[in-house]
Amino acid sequence: MLPAIDVRTLGIRYNLRLTRRNTVNVTFRNLARRRRGPTHFWALRDVTFHVDHGESLAVIGPNGAGKSTLLQVLAGILEPSEGVIAVNGRISSLLTLGAGFDTDLSGRDNILLAGAFMGMDHGEMQGRMGEIIEFADLGQFIDAPIKTYSAGMNARLGFSIATAVQPDVLLLDEVIGTGDATFKSKSRQRVVELMGAAKAIVLVTHDMSWVLDFCNRAILLERGNAVAAGDPTTVVALHEERSAMRRTGGIPDLLPPLDGSGFR
Amino acid sequence: MASQTDAVRATYRMARPGPLATLKGTVRDVLSRRRLIQYLVRADLKKHGADTLLGNVWWILDPLLTMLVYVILIAIILRSNREAYPLFIFCAILPWKWFSSTIGAAVTGITTRELIIKQVNFPKIVLPIAITVGGVVSFVFGLVPLLAMLVFIYPSHLSVWLLALPIVAAVQFVLTLALAILASALTVFYRDIGNLAGHLLRLWFYLSPALYGTDQLDKIAKESPSLFSIYELNPFAAVFESYRNLIYYGQAPTWNLLGLVLLESLVLLVVAVLVFRRLEPSFAKIL
Repeated sequence: MLPAIDVRTLGIRYNLRLTRRNTVNVTFRNLARRRRGPTHFWALRDVTFHVDHGESLAVIGPNGAGKSTLLQVLAGILEPSEGVIAVNGRISSLLTLGAGFDTDLSGRDNILLAGAFMGMDHGEMQGRMGEIIEFADLGQFIDAPIKTYSAGMNARLGFSIATAVQPDVLLLDEVIGTGDATFKSKSRQRVVELMGAAKAIVLVTHDMSWVLDFCNRAILLERGNAVAAGDPTTVVALHEERSAMRRTGGIPDLLPPLDGSGFR
Repeated sequence: MASQTDAVRATYRMARPGPLATLKGTVRDVLSRRRLIQYLVRADLKKHGADTLLGNVWWILDPLLTMLVYVILIAIILRSNREAYPLFIFCAILPWKWFSSTIGAAVTGITTRELIIKQVNFPKIVLPIAITVGGVVSFVFGLVPLLAMLVFIYPSHLSVWLLALPIVAAVQFVLTLALAILASALTVFYRDIGNLAGHLLRLWFYLSPALYGTDQLDKIAKESPSLFSIYELNPFAAVFESYRNLIYYGQAPTWNLLGLVLLESLVLLVVAVLVFRRLEPSFAKIL
């Protein structure tokens, strides 16, 4: 049987000349200063892993290690610059939350728009409308433009839209800490339900209790490389040891990247 | 060691589809996202109506006021003595409003959707398509004052050729769509296009026979025929003349010229789609 997610020698390269507010002026200056300084940046390189059906994989690592980039690739938002990825089944990604699809439109219109952006069937979205509105707990505000919402309301609506779809492959990025205490426990419960129903999960988080409670495998990303993989307890212990060292001002030794063959 | 890693890296490569497969895939994507295009168009229209006191009435007022400005300038100050001059320029102002507002919106069409592009994977080409389709609605609203003018002020200009208006509009639609797709993608890489677009559009408008007729260019045509043929290459020369034939002169458009514009527009559309699809994967990285 095909694995739910298959990633081989994945590399994501950013062209530093093109990123960020490019103007003709900057382009000409870059042409003049050709071949000075690095032109490329590898956000991810040589990452190989697979997730079987029924598995949940935690991706951990320090800030800027490439965790969110990895999720963006799995969601199909970024294309690999190197290597191949294959995802089998319907994906739902809870990447950065906050509905904000169109702030001039009402919550109700945004639900339909979001569904259309995610490629959901119109009838299906209509059918889930009531459920989404109820979960977001917005009351009459559902017919007011989103720009009048508070940050919490926005996050609640975003969360309830994103979790309304029933995915085969669930991608989660730091979504657990949204809203007030009531909504937090409600959303935690929803995530646990989804994790139970999904066929495969990839979770990016800094909350190690989630990794230990819900994941059966973990990989540690550092500087765009997978440097450790396997049992969550071992990988989390390694990560915490290295983080503790960084906190006290130490610089842990660079770990060699794993090559694909060593990875199950 | 390095060469070994390179060998492993070389084993797995994503294949890039050829041009024909890209076109086919785009058509399939767009058809499957009809609903998204519909929502985007409706959202845009809703916003237009909600912001201002007069709401959608502005679609009718806007071309009329533009016409008034030029009528004051040219008919009253510069003393043009063309018969039914307001109608004469309205034939060009109305389609031009459609074109220029569409391109103006397309220029920022991708860049303003930064958040969604980074969160959800969807065929980005629906954005310029929705903008172009939305423009058609404002064009249709603009036909209301046109018809009113024809019926109540200039009934002698009314003819059955008016019914051929959708044909010319269809040609203009293809041309507008192609340029909107191209402009929206290129602005992601060069933000200057946003600043430049307004000026280029104004220049294009004055270079096209909108406020004057091609018949007034006799002098240029006689003195330097080559310059005049360059002038005729402008697709809007043919488009404006076609609208004017139908509305103002009440006669058939120059079919050959119109057909040529359609052909050029279709070729441009294919090029625009291929360029867009080639650049699309970089949008999420650059925005």
